[in-house]
Amino acid sequence: MRTFIKVAMAATVALAALAAAAPSMAQDKTIRMWTFLNPTGTAPREVALAKIIENYEAANPGTKILVETQVWDQMTPKFLSAHATGNAPDVIWVVTDFLGDAIKSGSLADLNELFIKDWSAEQLADNAGAYWDLSLVDGKQHSIFVSRNYISLMYRKDLFEEAGIDPTSLTTWEAFHDAAQALTVKDAAGQVTRYGFATGFSEQQADPSPILPPMLAAGIEPFNADGTANFANAKGVEAMTLLTDMVKEGISPAQAATWTVDDMFEQFASDRVAMIQGPAVRVSTLQAKLGADKVGLMMWPGDGVAAHSPAVMAGWAVGVWSGSPIKQEAGNFVEYMLGSEADKIWVTDGGQVPGLQSTLTELADFIAQPGNEYLAVAAEGSAKFGWLTPIDFAVGGYRQAINKAAQRVLVEGVDVETALKDAEVEFNRQNNR
Amino acid sequence: MHSRLTGVSYVLPAFAVLTLVLFSPVFYGLWFSLFRIQYGAPTDFIGLGNFARLFEDPALGGTLRRTLVFTSFSVAITIVIALALSVWIHKLPPKRGFVVQMIVIIPWIISTVVATLLFRWVFVNDIGLAISLARAAGFGEIHLLNDPNSAMALLISVSVWKRIGYAVIIILAGLKSIPDDYEEAASLDGATAWQVFRMITLPLLKTPLLLVTIVLTLSNINTVETPLVLTGGGPGSATRILPIEVFDRAFVTYDLGSATALALVMFFGNVLLVLGYVRLAKWKA
Amino acid sequence: MTTNPSTPDRAVKPVHRRRLPGIAGILATGLFLVLALLNLIPLVWGVLTSLKAEADLFKFPPVIFGFQPTLANYERVIESGFLQNMQVTVLYCVGTVVAALTLALPAAYAFDRFEFPFRKTLLLLVVASIPLSLGAAALLIPNYIYFTRLGLTNNWFTLPLIYTAHQLPMAIWIIKGTLEGIPRELDEAAVADGASHFDVLRLVILPLSRSALGAAGVMAFVGSWNEFVASTVMVDNPALRPVQPAIYNFIGYFGREWGPLTASATMAIIPILIIFILLGRLIVSGLTKGSVKG
Repeated sequence: MRTFIKVAMAATVALAALAAAAPSMAQDKTIRMWTFLNPTGTAPREVALAKIIENYEAANPGTKILVETQVWDQMTPKFLSAHATGNAPDVIWVVTDFLGDAIKSGSLADLNELFIKDWSAEQLADNAGAYWDLSLVDGKQHSIFVSRNYISLMYRKDLFEEAGIDPTSLTTWEAFHDAAQALTVKDAAGQVTRYGFATGFSEQQADPSPILPPMLAAGIEPFNADGTANFANAKGVEAMTLLTDMVKEGISPAQAATWTVDDMFEQFASDRVAMIQGPAVRVSTLQAKLGADKVGLMMWPGDGVAAHSPAVMAGWAVGVWSGSPIKQEAGNFVEYMLGSEADKIWVTDGGQVPGLQSTLTELADFIAQPGNEYLAVAAEGSAKFGWLTPIDFAVGGYRQAINKAAQRVLVEGVDVETALKDAEVEFNRQNNR
Repeated sequence: MHSRLTGVSYVLPAFAVLTLVLFSPVFYGLWFSLFRIQYGAPTDFIGLGNFARLFEDPALGGTLRRTLVFTSFSVAITIVIALALSVWIHKLPPKRGFVVQMIVIIPWIISTVVATLLFRWVFVNDIGLAISLARAAGFGEIHLLNDPNSAMALLISVSVWKRIGYAVIIILAGLKSIPDDYEEAASLDGATAWQVFRMITLPLLKTPLLLVTIVLTLSNINTVETPLVLTGGGPGSATRILPIEVFDRAFVTYDLGSATALALVMFFGNVLLVLGYVRLAKWKA
Repeated sequence: MTTNPSTPDRAVKPVHRRRLPGIAGILATGLFLVLALLNLIPLVWGVLTSLKAEADLFKFPPVIFGFQPTLANYERVIESGFLQNMQVTVLYCVGTVVAALTLALPAAYAFDRFEFPFRKTLLLLVVASIPLSLGAAALLIPNYIYFTRLGLTNNWFTLPLIYTAHQLPMAIWIIKGTLEGIPRELDEAAVADGASHFDVLRLVILPLSRSALGAAGVMAFVGSWNEFVASTVMVDNPALRPVQPAIYNFIGYFGREWGPLTASATMAIIPILIIFILLGRLIVSGLTKGSVKG
C-alpha cells in the first residue's frame, strides 16, 4: 500500500508541476493558431511551418506563435463551437468543406481591414485566382488559402514509358480508357497484377468522384442553384458508366469499392496501379516511396472542345478569428505566413503548390527540376481548369453520396441512373433540401 | 446497524465527479438538442424538431437492424471465447498464465484505430500478408470487403478480436476471486468438471459476466473507430451501423442538431438496455 | 503495490488446480493458438513496419524480413515530441488510476455493505453511466461547449478529471463484484473488536480486494491511455497533449505515414506492458485458497 501512496503523491506533484509550467509559456503577445500540422514534426510541411514561425518570431521579438495542433477532420467543427463559446484561437485553418459555414457564422475577421488595405495593386494581382475569390464575400476577404489541392490524374511515368504511352496523348476520355487498358497487366494465370486505373469508392475519407470532371467540362454543375443535388444528369450517368465499366472490364479493380484514398495510394506505391485519381498534395509523399522520376501528375482528359476537364479543387484557408483580442497581431502573422517569402518556403521545404503567381516565376528553376513538374501542372490547372465546391450552401456528404452510388453499382448491381438518383435523394434529405 | 451517513459519505466523492463530468453534460445535451444548431451553436428553439427529423429518415430502420445483428453476434461470440479462454488460463500455472494473458490482450491494448488498420492491412488488404500468401498458394483473389455478408462477418470478427482481451481480464479477475475450496468441495463430491463449471463457477461469475456483457454491448453500439476504419459502412450500406450514422451527421454533413438528437436517443436506449440486462440477470444491487 | 511476500494471503501455498479435462483443454489450447496467430502477426508486422524505410513500406508481394532495418521512424517520432506526449500521458493515467481507485473502493464498499437512502437508485445510476463513458464521441460538440463554458478545458486537470469519471463506474463495479465474495463475518468481527468502518476498509477489505484493485487499475490505465475522443478535443496546448492524438497525427490530412505511425504505436505499448507487469500479476495471482477463511 505504501508504494501506492508514494505513486499517488508523486503523480500529484508532477501534475501540479505541469500546471505551474503551462502558464509560464504565455508571453506578453502569444498568438494561438490551430492547424493540423505539428511544427515539431518532421514531415515536409511541418518543417516549412516551423521555419516560417521561426522567421516571424525572430523578426518580431516579444511575439510568440503557439501552435495548438488539432486532429484535422474535427478541427473546423471544433473551431465553430469554440467561436460560439468565445474561446477560439487567434488564427485558424479552415477546410474548404466548412469555409461557407465559417464565413456565415461571422467567425472570420475581414482581412482587408487588417492588412490587405495596405497592399499594392501588384500584390493583389499576385494573389488573384479562384481560391482568392472563393473567400471574398460581400467585399470582405475572410481568409486566404495556404494549401491548394488540385485533384486530378496521378500516373506512373516509368510504367507509361514501359507501355510506350505518351502521357500527353490522353486528351479524351476514350484515350484515357484505352491507355488504362494498355497499362493493365495480367499474369500467366490470367490474374491482373497491375490495373490501369483506380480510384477509391469508400465513403470514409472520400475524395470527389472522377465523374465530376466530365460533368463540369460539359458545363453541368453537380448542384442546382437551390443547393439540391444534380448527379443523375446525362453526363453524370455517362461518366459513372465509364468508371464502373472499367471495373467490369478488369482494367480497374473491383476491390476499390471499399478502398479509401489511402488504400489507393498504397496500391499505387506497390506497383499495383498505373494511374489513380490523386491530388497534387500527395505527389511528394509518393515520390518519397517510389522515386521522384516515377510519379507524375497530369490534368484530366478534355472533351474534344476544352483541352482539359476541370478538376475539383480543395484546400485549407487561413483566417483570423473575429473575436480575437489581438486581431492586428494575428493578421500580421497571417500576412507573413501567406506572403511571398513564406510561399517560397512552403514550396521548397513543404512541397506545396505555389500560391502566388510571383513564386511560380521566381522559383522557375526549382519547379523545372525533375520530379517537381507537378507544381507547375497544379498551378496551371488551378488557374485554368479548376472547380471549387460552392460555399453559398453546405455540400457536406456529396462525395460520400456519389461514392456510395458507385459501390451500389459495383457490388449490388444497381443500374447507374437509379444509383445516382438515390444518391441525389440521400444528399438532399441529409441537407434538408 | 451501519450509520446511514457513513454510507452516503463514502459514495459522495465518486458521485460528485460523475455528476460534474458525466451526468450534467447529458442535461446540457438535452437542452442543446431542442434548438436549431447553426454553425456549431444553438440558435432558435425548435422543441423536438431535431428528433422529428430523425424519424423521417427511411434508412434509419435498416441501420438499427444491422446494429442489432452486429452487436448481438459480436457480444455473444466474444463472451463465449473469452469465457473458455479465461477458465483455461485460470488453471494454468501462474507464469504461463501471465504470458498467455499478455498474448490474448494485445489487440485490446493497442489503440483501436491502429489495431484495426493493422488487422485490415495484414489480413484483408489484397497487398497484405495473408491475401498475398493465399494468392501465392493458388487461392485466387479474395476480397472479403466486397461482399455485403462477408464484410459484416469481418466487421464482427474484428470487433471480437479487438475486445476478447478486455473480457478475459474481467472474467479472469472474477475467477480469481472465487475461493478454490468451493470447486474442490464440489469435485470431491463427485461432480464432473462441466458440472462444477455449470453449477459453481458460472453462478459466481454473474457480476463480472454482467459487466462484460454490458460493456461489450455498449462499446459495440457506440464506438465508431472499428467500422469507420474497416469498411466505412460499405459496401453499399452493408455495414452502416449507428455509430457511423452519428459520426456522419456530426462530422460529414455537419448536422449537429440531428446528430445530438440521435446520440441522446441512443444514450437512453443504452440505459434501457443496461437496466434490461440487470433485470434479466436478476442481479441484486 | 507489487506483491508483498509477507501479506497473509501469499503465505498460503497456491493450491494445485485441477487442469481442464482432455477435450476441453485441447479445444481451449487450439482456440488460443489461433488467437495467438491473429494477435501476434499484426503486432510483429507493425513492429517490422516501424523499422522500414519509406521505400520498403509497400512492396508487392510484401517483404517480411528482407529489408535494411532503420531507426529513422523512431527518430522522427521522438523528434516530433512524442516522449513529452508519453510523459504527460503517464502522469494523466497514473493520476487517473490513483483517483479512480481511491474514489471507487469506498463507494464499492458502501454499496456492498451499508444501507442508506437511494442506495439502489445510485448504484443503478453508476451502472447506467457506463454508456456515457463509452459513447462520448456522440455528444462531443455539446460536451465541448459545456466544458468550455465551465472553464474546464485546456487545463492540466482536464483530462485526468474526465478519464477518472470515465473509469469510475467500471472500477466501482469490478471492486463491488469482489467485495460480494468477502464474507461479512470478517468485517463484523472487526467492528465487534472496536474497529471503525474506515479501519475495516483499510485493514480488512483493502488487502482482500487486491485482485479487483489490480483489474480495475489496469482497466483504468489502459482505458485512459487509449482514450481518443476527449483527448483530441478537450485540450489544445501542446504541453498538455496526450499520446493518442499524437499517434493519430501520423494518419493526417496528407495520408497515413505507416513508418512513424507504427513506431509511435509500438512505443505507446511499453507503458501498458509495464503496468501489466506491475498490476497484472495481481489479477493472475489473485486470491488463493484459505485467504478468505479469516
